[in-house]
Amino acid sequence: MRKLVFLRRISQILFLGFFIYVLWSTTYPLSGGIPPGVLFKLDPLLMLSTALSERTLVPGLSFAALMTAVTFFLGRFFCGWMCPLGTVIDFFGSFRKKKRELSYPQSQRLKNIKYLFLGVFFLLAVAGVQAAWVMDPIVTAARVVSFNLIPSATYAVDRGFVWLIQTFGLYGGFYDFYRDLKAGFLGVRIAFFANALVTFVYFLAIGFASFGVARLWCRLLCPLGAFYSLVASFSQLERKAEACNGCGLCSRRCRMGAINPKGEYDKGECILCLDCVYDCPEGKTRFVVRGVKGAAPAAPRTEGRGMTRRSFLWLMASSLLSLGACGVPVANRPRVIRPPGVEEENRFLNTCVRCGNCMKVCVTNGLQPVMLESGWQGLWTPLLVPEIGYCEYNCHLCGQVCPTGAIPRLSREEKKQARLGLARVDHALCLAWAHKKQCIVCEEHCPVADKAIKLDIARIDGHDVYRPVVDAALCVGCGICQNKCPVSPQRAIRVEAAG
Amino acid sequence: MRKSFKREVSPGSFHEGAERKGAMEKFLYHLEIFLKKQMTRKGFLKVCCAALLAFIAGNQFLKAAFAKSEVSSGRPKKGLKGAHDIVAVKGEDAYKNTVKAVEAMGGMGCFVKKGAVVVVKPNMAWDRSPRQAANTEPAVVAALVEMCYQAGAKRVNVFDIPCNEDRPVYEHTGIAAAAKEKGAFVYFADHWNVVKAKFAYNSSMEGWPVLRDAVECDTFINVPVLKHHGYTKLTLSMKNLMGVCSGKRGLIHLDIGPKLVDMADFINPDLTVIDATRVLVRNGPSGGNEADVQVFNTVIAATDPTLADVYACSLVKVDPVDIPYLKAAMARGFGRSDLSKADILQVQA
Repeated sequence: MRKLVFLRRISQILFLGFFIYVLWSTTYPLSGGIPPGVLFKLDPLLMLSTALSERTLVPGLSFAALMTAVTFFLGRFFCGWMCPLGTVIDFFGSFRKKKRELSYPQSQRLKNIKYLFLGVFFLLAVAGVQAAWVMDPIVTAARVVSFNLIPSATYAVDRGFVWLIQTFGLYGGFYDFYRDLKAGFLGVRIAFFANALVTFVYFLAIGFASFGVARLWCRLLCPLGAFYSLVASFSQLERKAEACNGCGLCSRRCRMGAINPKGEYDKGECILCLDCVYDCPEGKTRFVVRGVKGAAPAAPRTEGRGMTRRSFLWLMASSLLSLGACGVPVANRPRVIRPPGVEEENRFLNTCVRCGNCMKVCVTNGLQPVMLESGWQGLWTPLLVPEIGYCEYNCHLCGQVCPTGAIPRLSREEKKQARLGLARVDHALCLAWAHKKQCIVCEEHCPVADKAIKLDIARIDGHDVYRPVVDAALCVGCGICQNKCPVSPQRAIRVEAAG
Repeated sequence: MRKSFKREVSPGSFHEGAERKGAMEKFLYHLEIFLKKQMTRKGFLKVCCAALLAFIAGNQFLKAAFAKSEVSSGRPKKGLKGAHDIVAVKGEDAYKNTVKAVEAMGGMGCFVKKGAVVVVKPNMAWDRSPRQAANTEPAVVAALVEMCYQAGAKRVNVFDIPCNEDRPVYEHTGIAAAAKEKGAFVYFADHWNVVKAKFAYNSSMEGWPVLRDAVECDTFINVPVLKHHGYTKLTLSMKNLMGVCSGKRGLIHLDIGPKLVDMADFINPDLTVIDATRVLVRNGPSGGNEADVQVFNTVIAATDPTLADVYACSLVKVDPVDIPYLKAAMARGFGRSDLSKADILQVQA
């Protein structure tokens, strides 16, 4: 019985379940009990790069500091015991037993790639661009859960129930059960996210990579892993082989390639999976706290530490090239409709970590992930698509769930004042303006108390035609007019982004 | 390779006792042979295709056998009459007003039979608080639910298709909580559970998807709120029936008058209770500003939807002819519209 490995697996499953639970309960009316931003505040990479790029203190920094401190004591326990992406990678990896094994020098060379990514993200943050979201494991996992897992799971359950009810005519208690389920965990609206396939393919690629080499992502690419690895090389908890017959089993079986054939290990690479404790035929491998009585002396430093001139040049060149790839200055980019309260686009792009919380919580499903509408820098940031869903006047949840404050935490009253854009009537399409018909759907839905859409009454052919006119001073750009406009495919009233 | 799937074909004991071969045993014999055969890829695909076809055919059969009809020609016309044509109760408390109005009509027993399934359809359309008066007063709905159960109703359903997002609307209007407290089933309408409206005459609402629960019920009580509307001047009982229509409802606004009269004919509410407790007099139908609200403290009950609406117009001094659907109802002779000939009971609570 591998007691500690069993414990680790339990911890991994619990944290993955917790992760999914928190994201699942990130929905109206936010009664999950756990603040939805906490998952991302625990991530030092996101918090540091956000704080650094905007030169401000982010509230999540204290959580991140806590995680760093624990890592300083225990090592990369996060990667082995908590990381949801790591758990999934382990799960994928467990399907294929025969893996390509890298030799120790090979894996020592390859592990440095992730430091390059970390360095690039760090230097970009110093230069004022937050790009950690590109590869951060927590937000990658969160996007898959929010954009792919939850929508498809709820859709499948919902369709299944509808099929059963309709084909078997179960309109009695079974239907009531379905209604309760819908009001509860399924959600009244089955969410849908545009281009969710992209996040899914990205995730699958990470998962399938572990078919070839165990934990390939964590060893080679993960920038958060690189950060933890730097901290963990000073960790107080250490592996100690008290007796070694040089069989090299631990070295071959180590999923991180952290142990050399002599049985010595690279502390920064160890994720405390504890397999080697049980793999050792001598049974004398333990993890002990440094400096405690009876503990082993510090492990020998492994080769390949520190930065060579070549890797320094690599880092500088790739950082500069990535900075150059930011392209057109933000001010000149096409604007998209941002969530309420977002004012400065550049600040928003830097503080948004692309966790998808705002889109997950959006009650109308109107907040959708951007692909390339605002440059590659805007990838996976939220934009409001009024055709899919408008911004509910009384709802301010997106600001409440944002972990970094990219969407300001507005009160309900403040949010009602926040301008997302301005509606414009298309006189060539509008039923009233172009076809002299009665409609006023946009006017009746306008949530502003004094109506940002006024009616211009014209007497045409013996009857009154009510033609909508937007009052630019009152319009908040919530997009309900565009959402409800009966003209299709192009709506006759459309919201344009503010600014 | 996967040798566990490869089994020997050995029908075993069936060969020996040939004289005992009944039909059942023959079947079992062939079944055993079939099960023990190694599955080829072609065979597997064949089985998959057959299973899919069987599933589709079975689905069609089950639908034909169990599923409910997808077309409906509306609720039957029972022509229930109360003690008066119109009862209007004015008083401080909306709950008591409602109880008094229905009692003066002859009690809920006139409309709800024992074991009946009742729909109480409030105007629950906007994400507004009760004080903003864009939706039916919760106390009115609660009183009706209570009376339905007292009259012996088996089940009272309360639902609407809101104009804003369902959940915030149900919660912020206070109607869901008030009705649930009295034991009503409050749920979100499912847009897949609809019937297509069929009319005996030419109607532009032909084929419109209408919520099944609104049509297949024993008693339908329409509980609109009296309020301003930018185009139809007033939102009244007939306008409230747009709430049971699924589909692209914005299109109903084109030539709204005849369409709403057709809907009133289709749904044929047994009782109409108009809530004029707090009346939004400007910036309707969604409002949002309490300064636009006037307190009338009145509840109107009637069996004839047209008559109820015409009476409600007189409260806010609007000429019914200016309201498209009342104009269409009068032109068509749908319901009665002459208040001078109606039996009106006005009660001061």
